[in-house]
Amino acid sequence: MTIGHHVVGRMTAGSDPAPDATAPDTTAPQDPGAGSVPAAPGPIDFLLDGFAAVPDAEALVWRGVSHTYGFLADRVGDMGRRLDEALLPPAAVVSLEADFSPNAVALLLALIRRRCVVVPLSSAVAGDRDAFRAVAEVEWIIELGGDDDTVVVTPTGRAASHDLLATLRGRRHPGLVLFSSGSTGASKAAVHDLVPLLDKFRVPKRTLRTVAFLLFDHIGGVNTLLYTLSNGGCVITVSDRTPDAVCAAIARHRAELLPTSPTFLNLLLAGEAHTRHDLTTLRTITYGTEPMSENTLRRVHAVLPDVKLQQTYGLSELGILRSQSRGPDSLWVRIGGEGYELRVVDGLLEIKARAAILGYLNAPSPVTADGWFRTGDAVEVDGEWIKILGRRSEIVNVGGEKVYPAEVEGVVLEMPGVAEAAVHAERNAITGQLVALRVRLHDPEPVADFRRRLTAYCRERLARFKIPQKVTIVDGPLHSERFKVMRGRSASE
Amino acid sequence: METTVDETRIVELIVRTLRALGEEGVVDLDGVEPTATTDLFGAEGLLDSIGLVSLVVAVEEALDDELGIRVGLADDRALSQRHSPYRTVSSLAGYAAGLAPAG
Repeated sequence: MTIGHHVVGRMTAGSDPAPDATAPDTTAPQDPGAGSVPAAPGPIDFLLDGFAAVPDAEALVWRGVSHTYGFLADRVGDMGRRLDEALLPPAAVVSLEADFSPNAVALLLALIRRRCVVVPLSSAVAGDRDAFRAVAEVEWIIELGGDDDTVVVTPTGRAASHDLLATLRGRRHPGLVLFSSGSTGASKAAVHDLVPLLDKFRVPKRTLRTVAFLLFDHIGGVNTLLYTLSNGGCVITVSDRTPDAVCAAIARHRAELLPTSPTFLNLLLAGEAHTRHDLTTLRTITYGTEPMSENTLRRVHAVLPDVKLQQTYGLSELGILRSQSRGPDSLWVRIGGEGYELRVVDGLLEIKARAAILGYLNAPSPVTADGWFRTGDAVEVDGEWIKILGRRSEIVNVGGEKVYPAEVEGVVLEMPGVAEAAVHAERNAITGQLVALRVRLHDPEPVADFRRRLTAYCRERLARFKIPQKVTIVDGPLHSERFKVMRGRSASE
Repeated sequence: METTVDETRIVELIVRTLRALGEEGVVDLDGVEPTATTDLFGAEGLLDSIGLVSLVVAVEEALDDELGIRVGLADDRALSQRHSPYRTVSSLAGYAAGLAPAG
């Protein structure tokens, strides 16, 4: 619900940059109405120092146009002044409704500098926007859009009072609210303290030209942005996330790193987009957000043999963990790194993180009394290596035998003519659940014919209880805007 | 309206479905040519639980496609019958016919 819906600030990408963007921020360290106090180090000073060191380097490509670090630093200053003019107070809870753009990035940094709690909302959640604003107790709405990256700032009249938001204010720390894109149940609003979250970006790493494939309101998208900007790399934004458009952007802007999802890679293979574009600059593909199947990984490695394939493990609740794959086509990974501890309880991964969330705004704390976060991911363990099998809630239990959807989907996707595949559990009274498959084909085919070749194909590759027993051919896409498989309702719902 | 379901048609449909599943390799018929009296599930049964689920799902789909009958043959109700509907081809046909909307 929006109260007082009037526009108090408007600015476009064409506005004059301000001369002195890196001046000490006088709004951040003081409370509204308080007198002038000496400026304490701001949470993004280290980033702005980095920007100042490479003013002519490319920071961001938006709609095919490059912007430098100098431009971005100026723009952060501009946006700070716009927030001043709009009378947006420090520590406000602000939704930033945008996809990657120069103003979106500048506003994110300007809001962090102001110790605001930022609630990024991308176009992927357009339908839930009002509900998400209410859950996050958004006090100010900043909407961006259009060809000129227009900024509209609107107060909601709401006053945030949630304990977790009060905790952040008490610490005088900026915050971040990320909604989990959970495939089952309502989205949970995870509250991060940005000070520890930003800490890991202080350590210099490699400078890379990176495609901002994951969305602005996703932990992976936030991580991509902060990693790239803190190392003087270039963020290559894409407005179209289809395989051909992404491959075209890689070729045109000489991208080196593509952080993406297994579903995107499946679509890439199915449509053979890699054969139509020059991907020689691409050095690394990182994949996360959902389990990868061994088959998909092997096939990607076969068509892009020079590209390093690296699994990441990230959660809205914990941030992105560092990970190391055992081999280029191995699903075994070592994850963790400094600030993270791992343990496996009952086959499920639990993680203790220094930068874990404070909690959810709309659900009980996901952390055990002794500080462990239950991921809900089933894993196999081999010494220090683990293999992520899938969400416990998505496992199909066929008469006591466990079936992981990603494994079955990976085999089905190898079959000729298959564009997408999604496996889910369906209840039956004989074996409890059965393996149900929804599949999208490149060309029409009678379901009986498909089932016949499915069975023949799977018989040599999957244990019998894993072979889909129920098959539906669908016309529409089986993935979300975030390029995750939509497996539909699980039997446990 | 009269919509009497012919049980023999359902028997014929199940036999045909079972034969097709055997040909597709979904179930192993072990050389048996299915008939109305073929034992499906139980001590003397042809199928294990996964084979039975496959048959039941395929029969549900065939009933819907060919006869316009939508019934669930693997729900709690089926399992709580005094006599299991899965004993033979004809017992399964009888159970399906009993669920189908009668005239």
